[in-house]
Amino acid sequence: MNDSDIMLSVKGLRKSFGHLEVLKGIDLQVGRGEILSVIGPSGSGKSTLLRSLIALEKVDDGDIVIEGRPIALSGHDHISDAKIRERCRKLGMVFQNFNLFPHKTALGNVIEGLVAVLKTDKETAVAKGEKLLAKVGLSDKRDVYPCYLSGGQRQRVAIARALAMDPDVMLFDEPTSALDPELIGEVLAVIKELAAEKMTMIVVTHEMGFAREVSDRVIFMDGGLILEEAAPEKLFSNPDHQRIRAFLDKML
Amino acid sequence: MTYLIDTALFILQGCGVTLNLFAITLAGSLPLGFVCAMVKTSGWKPFRIIMEAYTSIARGTPLLLQLFFVYYGLPIIFPGFRLERFTAAAVTFILNYGAYFTEIFRGGIQSIARGQYEAARVLGMSYPKTMLRIILPQTLKRVLPPVANESITLVKDTALVVVLGIGEILRNSKQVVSRDFTVTPFVLAAGIYLILNYALVLFFRRIEKRYSVYE
Repeated sequence: MNDSDIMLSVKGLRKSFGHLEVLKGIDLQVGRGEILSVIGPSGSGKSTLLRSLIALEKVDDGDIVIEGRPIALSGHDHISDAKIRERCRKLGMVFQNFNLFPHKTALGNVIEGLVAVLKTDKETAVAKGEKLLAKVGLSDKRDVYPCYLSGGQRQRVAIARALAMDPDVMLFDEPTSALDPELIGEVLAVIKELAAEKMTMIVVTHEMGFAREVSDRVIFMDGGLILEEAAPEKLFSNPDHQRIRAFLDKML
Repeated sequence: MTYLIDTALFILQGCGVTLNLFAITLAGSLPLGFVCAMVKTSGWKPFRIIMEAYTSIARGTPLLLQLFFVYYGLPIIFPGFRLERFTAAAVTFILNYGAYFTEIFRGGIQSIARGQYEAARVLGMSYPKTMLRIILPQTLKRVLPPVANESITLVKDTALVVVLGIGEILRNSKQVVSRDFTVTPFVLAAGIYLILNYALVLFFRRIEKRYSVYE
């Protein structure tokens, strides 16, 4: 991988909650346009890893570098919060529970970052917001508050909200885990569309079919470590570890 | 009939004082409660301990005792320092209600899910901006009902200042009762309190309705 093509680089990442060590030294690199799925049993540290990448968790040790600029460096304890926020703006995040702003309409949610952080003028922001709502198929919900939207619609608004900031990398934290089964498809379709546009993505997911179909690379995490990292064909049909085979058997 | 009107007019003179105390108390205690709640939720430990002491004392002791303390007690501790009666009442009420509003706002702020802070953060918002644009607007909606409650209690609590001899609704009606030996002034006073509070209820209902467009 060319240096300029490395979007995200993680080295020796460690994180504990109290006595529980959740990440035990993670190394990871994500290249431009790459789609990475992170799978593994609950409690394996997948979400914590993802949340650490965008500084929602403060890591105990290790490096996280976003497009050449660190947000965490081992042994270098202070990077100002303003800098971290600035650097993390290269990343967009979609949460399992959507976390839409309930007091703002669908459009209001999508343009919030533009208006509040990027100081985009209202007109430009609204035009962009409408375009993104159209992209996720929710133009008709423009002025609707989140409480009147289905789970799938909420998650699509959340994706549009993240995309509005023009991130270079999109992080998805189990984006379909809180959805009714019949609503999962509409959200996955939007993510697949992003994949087709070569958006760099890291997706923590339990949707094995989706991970297999869309990813360039799959990471299997277990007990705070990356157990195996491989192309989806390899990892899903012929993993090196018995542990993974057992996990996949249970999932399917 | 003229007797009734005259009595009512006399009692209503006291209404001005009541409303004045009500307005000054809200104008002082709402901002005070807001600031204390922000300090309590974001703050630094020594501040939190001070706030804790303040709200415990102000909410844990009778308002009437606090009135006595400020008006009669402070001059004993600081000889020569005597607040004017209405000022003493206003200061006491602001401090007392400020403590209740502190707790109401604190509860409101803390009832907003963590995910809201995280969603704001990943969009790049700073903490002040997150509070201003995301957390406080939602808090406002949630604290409206308890704030309405407190306001109604406040209207009635203003009657306590009768003990300092301030001529508000209750004192004026009591004067007529003693003078004419009739219970009518009390009924009139009760009617005035009821009307004031009903107006307050209607006012808050309107605001709540405005905020009911979501959730």
